[in-house]
Amino acid sequence: MSHDLFISQVMPVKPKLLRFAYRLLGNEEDAKDIIQDALLKVWHHKERMNDLQNLEAWCMRITRNLALDRLKSKKFRQADELDNVRELPSATRNPHATMEQSDTMKKVHQVIQALPEKYRTIIQLRDMDGYTYQEIADILEVEMSEVKVNLHRARKTVREQLQNMHVYGLQ
Amino acid sequence: MDYNKVRALVAKYWACETTEEEEAELRQFFASHTEVLPEDLREAAPMFQYFHAAASLELDFPELDVNIFAQQEIVKPAAKIIRPFWHDWMKVAAILVMAFGVGYSIHQFEEKRNMPIAMSKDTFDDPEKAFEETQRALAIIAKNMDKGTKQMEKLSYFNDAVNKVSSN
Repeated sequence: MSHDLFISQVMPVKPKLLRFAYRLLGNEEDAKDIIQDALLKVWHHKERMNDLQNLEAWCMRITRNLALDRLKSKKFRQADELDNVRELPSATRNPHATMEQSDTMKKVHQVIQALPEKYRTIIQLRDMDGYTYQEIADILEVEMSEVKVNLHRARKTVREQLQNMHVYGLQ
Repeated sequence: MDYNKVRALVAKYWACETTEEEEAELRQFFASHTEVLPEDLREAAPMFQYFHAAASLELDFPELDVNIFAQQEIVKPAAKIIRPFWHDWMKVAAILVMAFGVGYSIHQFEEKRNMPIAMSKDTFDDPEKAFEETQRALAIIAKNMDKGTKQMEKLSYFNDAVNKVSSN
């Protein structure tokens, strides 16, 4: 039964997991490695799947923990500078997207990347992936109130940066 | 969606009061809007466009064969530990020795604590004998002190003689 559950419920979540890992790690190759490891881990614990309330959140949690471990490893010492931003979501990857890469989008990308990891992850899970507060709390293993507070702070920071961009005519 | 509604939703968004559906509406609106936006809406537009682009991101991932996972499963049989029969007896013996040691220490401690200070061990049980021994000891001390005194007398005679010789 859990084998079928794995095929029917976990595999469809794979694109979301991959996007999530990609945003955390910054490159596609590492994201794919992590997802491979995450799916293997989920497979090895497939007997737990029937007991879980939110399977997707569990898979995302595993992905996040593996990605953060990879980031902490010595090979992955990246300077946390604005110049060293991770790859921008590219319209060329998505045949349906018509948005061009503009300086403004790059600036927004820099603003998001400059957020502390906790704020950045929450804003990505909410504003890009559309998760509810409870789902985000399950993924990050924190209280829902903490998610709301951190999301508010993250949006406030982004807004301030956007206002600066707007005032100084960077748009 | 008219601009007033968008303004209201953006204000709710900054206050974190929007639902997921309303946020999706905002992303869709700003991503698909081609006309010139009012001034007050231009601030948030790039951000929603960015979110929309990021949400639409598609990455290639090779098809996964779940059977590969099944092959990687290694089932280890539970290790059987064989211990000699006397291992358990040794544990019991060790516990008994420790308990005996602790008990003995407590017993010794209790005995010492219960002994009155005045009942410290004497060298003599009989007071008369003790008195006699004390007298004998004091006599020895006195005798030796006399010896010392006589030696001191001799020393003082010598000293006087030296003084007389030096004065002459």
